[in-house]
Parts: sequence; structure tokens; C-alpha cells
Amino acid sequence: MRVTLFAWRNLWRRKRRTLITGFSIGFGIMLAVTFTGTGDYGYTNMINAGANMGFGHVTIERQGYNLSPGLDKPVENSEQVRDIVLKIEGVNNAYVRIMGQAMFASANKTVGGMFLAVHPKEESAEHNLFIRSMVSGEMLSSSDNRDVVIGTHLAKKLNLRLGKKLIYTTTDANGEIVSAISRVTGIFETGVKEIDGGLVMLPINTVRNQIGYKNDEATLVAALVNDQRYTQAVRDRVARRLNAKNVEILTWKQTQGDMAGIVAMDRGSNYISQILIGLLIAAGIFNTLLMSVLERRREFGIMMAVGMTPATLFKLIMTESLWLAAVGIIFGVIITTPWYWYLYNIGIDFTGAIGDDYSAGGVLVDPVMKIRLFKESIISILSGVFLLTLASGLYPAWKAGHIPPVQSLMQR
Amino acid sequence: MTGAIVTMENVTKLYEQGKIEVRAVDNLTLTIQKGDFAALCGPSGSGKTTVLNLMGGLDLPTEGTIHIEQQNLSELSRSQISNMRRDRIGFVFQSYNLIPVMTAYENAEFVLKLQGVPEKQCHERVMNILAEVGLQGLEHRRPDELSGGQQQRVAIARAIVTRPAIVLADEPTANVDSVTADALLDLMQELNRVERTTFLFSTHDQRVMDRARRLIRLRDGRLEQDEVRA
Ligand SMILES: Nc1ncnc2c1ncn2[C@@H]1O[C@H](COP(=O)(O)OP(=O)(O)OP(=O)(O)O)[C@@H](O)[C@H]1O
Ligand SMILES: [Mg+2]
Repeated sequence: MRVTLFAWRNLWRRKRRTLITGFSIGFGIMLAVTFTGTGDYGYTNMINAGANMGFGHVTIERQGYNLSPGLDKPVENSEQVRDIVLKIEGVNNAYVRIMGQAMFASANKTVGGMFLAVHPKEESAEHNLFIRSMVSGEMLSSSDNRDVVIGTHLAKKLNLRLGKKLIYTTTDANGEIVSAISRVTGIFETGVKEIDGGLVMLPINTVRNQIGYKNDEATLVAALVNDQRYTQAVRDRVARRLNAKNVEILTWKQTQGDMAGIVAMDRGSNYISQILIGLLIAAGIFNTLLMSVLERRREFGIMMAVGMTPATLFKLIMTESLWLAAVGIIFGVIITTPWYWYLYNIGIDFTGAIGDDYSAGGVLVDPVMKIRLFKESIISILSGVFLLTLASGLYPAWKAGHIPPVQSLMQR
Repeated sequence: MTGAIVTMENVTKLYEQGKIEVRAVDNLTLTIQKGDFAALCGPSGSGKTTVLNLMGGLDLPTEGTIHIEQQNLSELSRSQISNMRRDRIGFVFQSYNLIPVMTAYENAEFVLKLQGVPEKQCHERVMNILAEVGLQGLEHRRPDELSGGQQQRVAIARAIVTRPAIVLADEPTANVDSVTADALLDLMQELNRVERTTFLFSTHDQRVMDRARRLIRLRDGRLEQDEVRA
């Protein structure tokens, strides 16, 4: 019995119904692609943007720093740690940084905030949101001078301009209060108000001197990975490679708990929508298959009367549902491709709805919704549709073989 | 060995119709012999269809035993019964016998395919049978492109192409005009004479009964008359 061909022909006995069902499967694929694609794109963006705000995807810190950060908890040999981390597979770059709280003062006013001390020569715009967001002046020029880069909002609050002096006060490694003077060389604007109004970038060696750190001490080494999906794997590799006491190796999920929470919640609601879409589509497929079985009872009765086994009948209906899935997937590809292309390249601009400074979890959200699908998402959508169709076919297929032939034959 | 193809011993079949119990077949004992060309007749509701269904294992008796070629049906599994139908029994119904998406050729071929007969042999046998039932040249027509009589010929071709022990036909001529009915009967008679295929068909039609060599008359599920003619 060439069940495959037979099933294919059966599918087209009700052309319109098959086309409509195929189309609804295709539409489901389009929805799933949209949901998953915005997720894949949006989370990646958000996670990367977050990672570019100081901690990286993977952070190496002194044990206990994450729970209660303080300058009394430096990572020793941080420069060496960086060299090691740089060689680890999956790591794109790594940066030695000092992060701490400070008071910033100008002639007029004092405000509290954070400082991020860096090696300016090693920092790159790609992994440093603040360099990328410079709106005037220059990035710090060396690790040892008295320059500072501040945000627009802080500049406004303190009434500072390029070339003006800023005094920062912090507690050093021993708990003593220390102050230093610096000169504004650059101003950035990320769009996130708290950051533009409360974060400054300083040269790392200057800060080390100020707070009594040795030349190779820092509060963290931030590693940026090539692909955020493999952050955990990279973290584990780093942990194995470093094998150091006193330090802990964390991912963005721990260092940026707020954002991790938002991503997880969004993912969760995304899954729920996907499941609901899946169920709706499954109901459609189920209905089509069951109807097509029930209206062919007579025919199945005849086939069984001439010796077809219920098992073969089961196979026949399952093959029909496979074909239906295939038709649906083809439809899906046809209607989703242009849609995907559009969203991938152009996107939908929500600036009107959410404004261009909307942030979540401390990270700026791009108001242009674009999508991007990971390979594994494509695979899981397609296999999901396939499994769904197969599962919807099970009952109708079973039913076909279990209507007693006598009853089937009575039906005209 | 007797020449019995099917034997029914004290077979009773009860159907529930709502709260009422219907004795479709009532303590019936009947043997169909090899080479029979027998008509099962009787008024509507007398149990003809039920008897044919029971003989073909499409339905199970409430009481009594049925043997097909010495095999007790109640001792066979569902799939064994399926295989027995496939290999030993041909079924022809009153109408809508054929699978609509398949051509005459494919319908006639269907059971051979189920049996797994190799392609080449299949082709030869199907072409021969279709010629035998007078459908040469119509092999590629779908059922809806054939007349009622032609459709019944395809059904008969499908029933006999496997050389079954018995062909069970439930009012095979009821839905065709009398000329076509005569032609179908000619065909079955011919197959019975030449191939020794055993036929048991149910009918209401007196002219069809007249052509049977054995007349089995039922009333209320019981045997009223069993007459073998010369
Ligand atoms: N599946 C069933 N469920 C309930 N009752 C049934 C069923 N099949 C048959 N019957 C009843 O059994 C009795 C015999 O029916 P059967 O179809 O065998 O008669 P018949 O001789 O073939 O009649 P006809 O000439 O109208 O085809 C009838 O009373 C019928 O209503
Ligand atoms: Mg009947």
C-alpha cells in the first residue's frame, strides 16, 4: 500500500478545507515567529545593552561583592585575571574596572552617584555604552590623568561644562574618606535618566591611587561574550580556568537581577502566548482531521470490509496529518518570509507609543521593534508545529480504525 | 472434508435499538457450499445484511458459532479477521463501494496492494479482471466518471481479483436498472461457472432470485426456506 500517495490525494479531496487549515497553520507559524523573533532580538539587545553598562555578561568579583558591594572587596591580580579570561573560548573581550559609590560636587551642588573606573585605551565603544553615547568632548585619554566623563543630566544638575572641575568623594579600601579633583573632558547621554544623572567614568590608575588599591587590584573583571546565549557555558569555563578562591564568577542574571527578572517574566508571558496560539491551531487541525474522518466513515467501512487493518487506517490518517503539517509549514514559510524580512531589516517604530527614552530594568529599550530568529528557535517552531499536527491527528486516526465497520457501512 | 465454505450454527444476533432488543438473526443454522450461487432473500428487516456481515466477520454474533473454511471466527483476533477478509472474502455492497479518489484500476488493485502482491503481477491480474468484467479502456476513470453499473463491475472486479473463497454481495443490483442488473448477474454467473467462485448475494428482486441456483429465504431472522434448484 502506498499510504503516502493515497494520503496526499485524500488531503486534496477537500481543497478549500485543506487550504484553510494549511493557512491557519501557516499563520500560526507567522505568529510564533513574530513572538519568538521579537524575543530573540529584544532579549539579546537588552542583555547586551545591560552587559555594556559595566558588568559585562560574565563578571569576576571578590567573594561577597555582589551581595554587598564595597571598595574593601577588590579582586587581586585583576590584570592577570583579564589576560587569562581573554584566552577563554567564547569570550570576546574583557575589561578591568573599578565600580564604586561616590559624591560628585561642583561649585554649586553635590549629588550622589556611581563611578566606573576604566583603562580608556582598552575600552571599546562596542562594549561600553557610555563611550558609544558620547555627545560632546572626548573619551578619557589615559589611565592615569585627572579627566572625567559624565552624563548630560549630571552636567545639568551640577551645572558643569567641558573643561570644568568636578570633585568626587568616596571611601577608600580602608574606609577612609578621600576626595579628588578632576576635569570634565567628555559628556555622554544614554537616554536612561538615572545613569545620565548619576554615573561618571574615571581613569582606573588614578582611582587606584586615590582609594589605596594596588596596581593590579580592581573591583571586577567584566567579560563580554560573543553570543549571549552561551553566557552560562562561558561562565563555567571561566570558573574552571580560574579556579581561584576569594573570587566568584557571576552572569548578568546575578549582577543585573532587575533586568533578569524582566527578561524572565517577558519570556514567560511569551511562552504562554505561544502555547495559547498552539492550542488554537491544534484545535483547528484536530477539527479538520476529525471531520474528514467522520465524513469518510462509509469509505473506511468499505476499506476494512475488503481487509484493511485498523493499523493501516491509523497510518493513513496519521500520514494525512503529516501532509497537512507539511502544507501548513510551506504556507508558513511563504507568508512568514516577507514579514520576517520586513521586521528584520526595517522593523516597526513604536516611538510614538512608548517614546524614545523608555527603559526597563535600567536598560534603554529600542523603540523600533525588530526581530531576529535564532537557529534553535526556527527548529523548535517547526518541530513544535509538526508535533502539534501529529498529536492532533492521533485521536482522529485512532477513531477511524475503531468505528465498527458495520456502523460505518450503514452510513451513506 | 466437506465442501463447506461458511457454516453458521445456531447463530443469534441481537441489536439494541434504544430500549428495544431486536433479534436481527434468530438461531440460524446455515451452510454455504463451495460453488454455490445462492440468493439470500426475505422482506426488509429479515436479517439479510446482518447474516452477510456476520459471515464476513464485520460483526460478531451474540450467540452461536461461525466457521469460515474451518476457522472459528470467534477464535481469531481483529487483525486475523481483517487478513481473512482480505485473502478469503470478497465484499460487494449495494452502492458507494469504491474509494472516490482512486481510479477504477486502483480500486480493483486495492486489495492486491493490501496483500503486498508485487507490482508486475498486480498489473497483469487487474488488467485481466477489468477486461473480464467488461471495463477495458475505462481503467483510468474515477468512480464519479463511471455509471452505476460500471461502478458495480469495478466492485465485483475488486472482490474477485484475489480469487476469494466466497463473494458476499449485499443487494449488488438494487441500485441499477434491470438491464444493468441482468448484465451484472450474467457476469457473476459466468464467474461462478468458469472460476467456480462461490457467491452469496442478498436481494429483494424476484428476477434476481430466479437466477439463483439456491434460494435461502429468511423471515424475522429465521430460516424460512432453503431450496436448491437443479
Ligand atoms: N447496527 C444495528 N443496530 C440496531 N439494529 C440493527 C442494526 N443493524 C440491523 N438492525 C436491525 O436488525 C434487523 C435486521 O436488519 P438487516 O439490515 O439485517 O435486514 P435486511 O434484511 O438486510 O433488510 P433490508 O432488506 O431492508 O436491507 C432490522 O430490524 C434492523 O433494524
Ligand atoms: Mg440489508
